[in-house]
Amino acid sequence: MTAVTTRAARRPPPSKGARKQTLIAWGFAAPFMVLFLVFMAGPIVASLAMSFTDLTTRDLRSPFNVNLVGLDNYARLFQDDRFLHSLLNTGVFVIVGVPVTIVLALLVALALNTGINKFRTVFRVGYYAPVVTSIVAIAIVWKFILQPDGLLNGFLAIFGISGPNWLEDTTWALPSLILMAVWRNIGTLMVIFLAGLQGVPKEHHEAAMVDGANVIQRFFNVTLPALRPTVLFAAVITGIGFLQFFEEPFVMTRGGPLDATLSSAMYTFNQFGFGNYSYASAASYVLFLAIVLLSLIQFRLLKRED
Amino acid sequence: MNRWTTALAVTAATALLLTGCGRTDGAAGPDASKGSIDNEPATGDITIWAMGNEGEVLKDLATQFEDENPDASVTVTAVPWESAHDRIATSIAGGETPDISMLGTTWVGEFAATGALEPTPEDLVDPSDFFEGSWGTAVVDDVAYGVPWYVDTRVLYYRTDMAEAAGVEAPTTWDEYTEFAKALKDEGATSGVSLPPGGFDSWQYVAPLAWQAGGDILSEDGTEFTFDTPEWKEAFEFYKSFFDDGVAEPVRLEGGEIEQKFIDGSVGSFFSGPFHVGLLLEQGGADFADKFAVAQVPGDTSRTSFTGGGNLAVFNDSENRDAAWKFVRWLSEPETQIEWYGISTDLPSTEAAYDDATFSEDPYLSVFADQLTDSKAPPAIPTWAQVSAVIDQELEKVTRGETSVDDALASIQEQATSIGTGQ
Repeated sequence: MTAVTTRAARRPPPSKGARKQTLIAWGFAAPFMVLFLVFMAGPIVASLAMSFTDLTTRDLRSPFNVNLVGLDNYARLFQDDRFLHSLLNTGVFVIVGVPVTIVLALLVALALNTGINKFRTVFRVGYYAPVVTSIVAIAIVWKFILQPDGLLNGFLAIFGISGPNWLEDTTWALPSLILMAVWRNIGTLMVIFLAGLQGVPKEHHEAAMVDGANVIQRFFNVTLPALRPTVLFAAVITGIGFLQFFEEPFVMTRGGPLDATLSSAMYTFNQFGFGNYSYASAASYVLFLAIVLLSLIQFRLLKRED
Repeated sequence: MNRWTTALAVTAATALLLTGCGRTDGAAGPDASKGSIDNEPATGDITIWAMGNEGEVLKDLATQFEDENPDASVTVTAVPWESAHDRIATSIAGGETPDISMLGTTWVGEFAATGALEPTPEDLVDPSDFFEGSWGTAVVDDVAYGVPWYVDTRVLYYRTDMAEAAGVEAPTTWDEYTEFAKALKDEGATSGVSLPPGGFDSWQYVAPLAWQAGGDILSEDGTEFTFDTPEWKEAFEFYKSFFDDGVAEPVRLEGGEIEQKFIDGSVGSFFSGPFHVGLLLEQGGADFADKFAVAQVPGDTSRTSFTGGGNLAVFNDSENRDAAWKFVRWLSEPETQIEWYGISTDLPSTEAAYDDATFSEDPYLSVFADQLTDSKAPPAIPTWAQVSAVIDQELEKVTRGETSVDDALASIQEQATSIGTGQ
């Protein structure tokens, strides 16, 4: 506290003009601030508060007429096998999905940046199209691909492999959805990596070439270190997106078969649907903490060393 | 520093806000209707929310009500099914409810528990005019909230040509049903009968079996679940037998797939509501009408089927409750419902409507009319969605051989008991 007061005391007293400027600045900021406080910050604080109560549908008309239950909801969550199972599924999804997406997107970006010269725009559009396509349309197409007599099994049959019923098989349902999510997310990361690759200094490559470094050595010693901030950004946004894994199981499997694709976000959604608002809020704050934790780890691991 | 003080202030304010509240026990008390409804013409504005197809075509019917009640005007708001439940919940929380809303039959318990629905006035309608199973969907703790508007029940759809070739007739008992499904499979169907191995709403397939065996979901006094009874065990074992015998392929067919597979003969029979008649006639081509028929579901001690549909409920906050109830009463009259069938193809909820030639002389609809006299709905308890999700999940474990019937039912009973009946 002392530090604050001394610093404030040392600051010269604001002149009349400066105060007017501050007011004007707040005036400009006000439209956003008001909207943010009412529609964003308010509900966020309310939902946090909600997670410590026993609010359900029956309290809709009198939301303040509830009991405080402390950490009960959180304790119950961690005793619920289904929630733990959903955390596991989400974990697998993130641990497999994020690195695969990053590696594939980087490969595509490298190919588009160096190798492919003809039809470059066509490829860029092709890889980016899944990002902007509606999930409903994607779901229909992927169901055709993954159904027992679908495209994928038809393709495997050429090699004499009889494929499983991807979405109805407890072993294969989650990998199928990971594949689909990776395909959907490559586009965004590809664009980010393409931008990042523009920033890799040409001189460094030339210098490395003079020193006799081959393509692979140059990638690991020149390109990748220069891309570090880009990779960090990509890892963080994909990590957040993948932790909130919801749309794919929602449209494809509804969490089935046997909860094989039940994600934490899907679990939370179901609980909201059952009217267990406080319990669902608690579940979403657990997910929120997981996101914070994952982002911290990524920052730690990928921080610039210098 | 500054950020921490803000955070502290917010937490403190929230804590204060929360300690100021607390559940007051029994303050709500039993709901009561606000009085009977006279027979004078309705006046004023009435707003009604309706979902799906009903929301789109209800206006056509409402104009007739406006003609009969010149001083009343009806505003219909169409709400998509997917968002309807949340939208009603939001409107209750915000105190901005319409006068009337259509409700899915399984939602009544949940919304009645909020205290937002007005109980049906005593003399508005005669409960015995409605199918018993349907009227039950509107009753929570012996109090009726609104009335059943249209009904939906499941019957057996089967391929008559395949059954004829195999020399079997529509089954009436469980044993015949097993033989029947096997015979259809021998005629080339991949699934003699198509049943979902689990997943969303698969309880709707197994609960009727428990009813047929003489069991129920709740005990007589409505306080305890009865999943750990021999009747439920029989139901689960019978359901499982179709997968064990390979008569039903363990594949969940969604709408759109099942019609195609039924038409091409890879599904010999399946259970569904009335809407499939129209779909099959449309998609199967001109001569398909001779190749399929509907029949009452087979049974054990009874031939009970599942019933669902839509109810109408009036909200406590309605500003024009008299007119709202008058509109509801008009909508539940047999004559109106026959008219409504012509507009929406929704089946009437009143038994008297089925005496009309539209239903009694139709080879399909007459079967539905018969089935409706023996059909049942799940209990109208606020926690039903959650309990039924548990059944869906455990049923899937059984059909996939992950657990035994006994363990699954013990687990359902335990989870359902911990969820409670919400009362």
